[in-house]
Amino acid sequence: MKRWMSLFAFLVVATLLLTACPAPTPQIVEKEVVVEKPVVQTVVVEKQVVVEKPAPVHMVYITAGDVNMLALGQNVLAPAFHEMYPEVTVSVVHTGPGDAGSRLIFEKLLADKQAGKDPGDVDVAMVHQKFMAWAMAEDLLLKYADELETWQYMTAADARNALGTNIEGYAMPMFHSQIAIAYNPDFVPDPPRSYAELVEWVKANPGKFGYNGIKGGMSGVGFSIGWIYWKTGKYEKYAITGPFEEAEVATWEEGLKELKDFNQYVTITAGNVGTLDALNRGELWMGPVWVDMFYTFMLEGKMDPKIRLVMLEPGMPGQPMYFVIPKNARNPEWAKKWVEYVTSPEVQGKIIIERYNWYPGIDGKFVQDITPPEAFERLYKDISPEILSKYGLSFPIVQYNDAMLEAYERWAIGG
Amino acid sequence: MAEVTAKARRGRGGGFLPFLLLLPAVGLMLALYAYPFVSSIYRSFLGSKGALSVANYAKVRELYWRDVFFSLEISVLSTALAALVSIALAAYLRLSTGWFARFIGAIYRFPIFIPFVVVAQMMRTFLAPHGLLNIFLAQIGLVNIDAPLELLNWKGLTFGFVWKQAPFMALIVLSGFEMVDDTFIEAARSVGARLPQVIVRILIPMSRASISVALILAFTSTVGTFTLPYMLIGGQVPTTVTVDIAHRVTYFGDYGVANALGTLSYLMVLALAIYYLRYTVRKGIYEYQEG
Repeated sequence: MKRWMSLFAFLVVATLLLTACPAPTPQIVEKEVVVEKPVVQTVVVEKQVVVEKPAPVHMVYITAGDVNMLALGQNVLAPAFHEMYPEVTVSVVHTGPGDAGSRLIFEKLLADKQAGKDPGDVDVAMVHQKFMAWAMAEDLLLKYADELETWQYMTAADARNALGTNIEGYAMPMFHSQIAIAYNPDFVPDPPRSYAELVEWVKANPGKFGYNGIKGGMSGVGFSIGWIYWKTGKYEKYAITGPFEEAEVATWEEGLKELKDFNQYVTITAGNVGTLDALNRGELWMGPVWVDMFYTFMLEGKMDPKIRLVMLEPGMPGQPMYFVIPKNARNPEWAKKWVEYVTSPEVQGKIIIERYNWYPGIDGKFVQDITPPEAFERLYKDISPEILSKYGLSFPIVQYNDAMLEAYERWAIGG
Repeated sequence: MAEVTAKARRGRGGGFLPFLLLLPAVGLMLALYAYPFVSSIYRSFLGSKGALSVANYAKVRELYWRDVFFSLEISVLSTALAALVSIALAAYLRLSTGWFARFIGAIYRFPIFIPFVVVAQMMRTFLAPHGLLNIFLAQIGLVNIDAPLELLNWKGLTFGFVWKQAPFMALIVLSGFEMVDDTFIEAARSVGARLPQVIVRILIPMSRASISVALILAFTSTVGTFTLPYMLIGGQVPTTVTVDIAHRVTYFGDYGVANALGTLSYLMVLALAIYYLRYTVRKGIYEYQEG
């Protein structure tokens, strides 16, 4: 009994202490600090808003993707946003890599909607392309993007169309990422530059090219989809114009059986990171990787700095990740400010390119002057903007995408 | 008369109260285990249009049949090897004294507390072609590093499962061995039994119930493990059913085929689960051991 009493008393005291903490004084102190920042104009204007409306705002930002997405939200974006708008605190929730992470976000938003929860728990989310078809079909999203100041910088086609779904106004890309082939010039001085050359190369060097199949992460999925684009020559139809026709599926059989044959000469790695690790350890000489993960590994000293990148003709897929705002967001106005902040040229240049090695979400020409030259140079060294625009393809529209994965299982694994 | 009434009242209260007391636990079990279990089986028989069909099983037969058998094989093999290791370890700990045995007794449990995902990451770097193991073997001249041991496949997966499951099984098996009275062992030795005979003819037969429980628990959790196979052989052919379930849900949002695969893995553990329940619930482990 006594223990319970003392525990209770402790909790009461702790609660009192915690609730008593936020005193008004820190705002004044912070103002002095912030004035020294380069973005004085914006901050001062917003400070006046703070004086009028001091009510604290708690925003929830939920993100799919690898753990670097959590780090970006939690350690970089949320503190910086809080510094600009001291009344806003942002909690960052991470759901996990790949489409599975986006799937969880979709299921959360759908559950909120089905339960009639308004306002819901999520203010703003970061999702993969596939999410857009799911969420648009269920009418979960707010149309907001064309109201933003930064919409004018958004020139990429995938800001308007995601895998065949019209998303104009519902999503803002934060970055683009691209799948490319990493190779070790010590062993491969003159790398293959097309799928056709790669097929010859693996026969001459069995086991030295590796990818992660289609069940172990998106770099392998992208490599396999690029294979089908190459074999069919129907990229336009599968990824851009559509429409989906069941009859197309049967035409992939032969190409995928050739991929099965190709697979006998390659190593199947353990995931996106598995390919990178194997390249770094010298077990593999070539393999498809996400460009951003590759450069981040290199910056962190986890990748042999000699290793370079090359894109295969006729092209390999890449994808953006999008900001979306749920219809039932509690703080839609703050969510818009958040997206506007992250898609501003400053953040795109200094954080998205320099720190994370992603291709910017907004048009590169608005970012070039802000990004430190060495970061810009690093990102575009092996794959120039021209090569990227020529060989950087989209993933196919959703029905083709699903059909291709299943066709891979049927003909490149089984059969 | 009064006595009878009191007894009846007590009887009535006794008839109602146990159900009330059981309600939270049973309710929780029904809501969190029984309902999803039954519903996943039911949904595995729903086609894309919502009508009853076996289309999901047809797809499993077409695309994942090899993986179903691979899962079964790898689980049986890993559990059998882990059982051998755990029995050897438990016998050593039961029969030995001294500081080294105490030291082993203290550290062998560590893998139990390491989650599968951490085991998987350890195995990835340990077993890789240029990983710790191969480099070590190359240094002492047993392996050519340009043609290293290929272990990121079913062999490495089995190794990972055994590494993780054997200590857990040893913990249960050892508790059975500890219940065998020293007099049996001493009696066997006094008539000339050597160590292998003590283990095979005294310890194991007298601890059959503990060993069965260890086998069943290890097998069940091996069948259901996702992270270790995903991180070691996720993209390979064949792979495990758990990886396929994740693949169907992640890339297709297809819970029908995922449920069908899930139902097949229930079948794999069902036979053992029935056996386990008969052992623990009907007979009672201790009763059996004493008898």
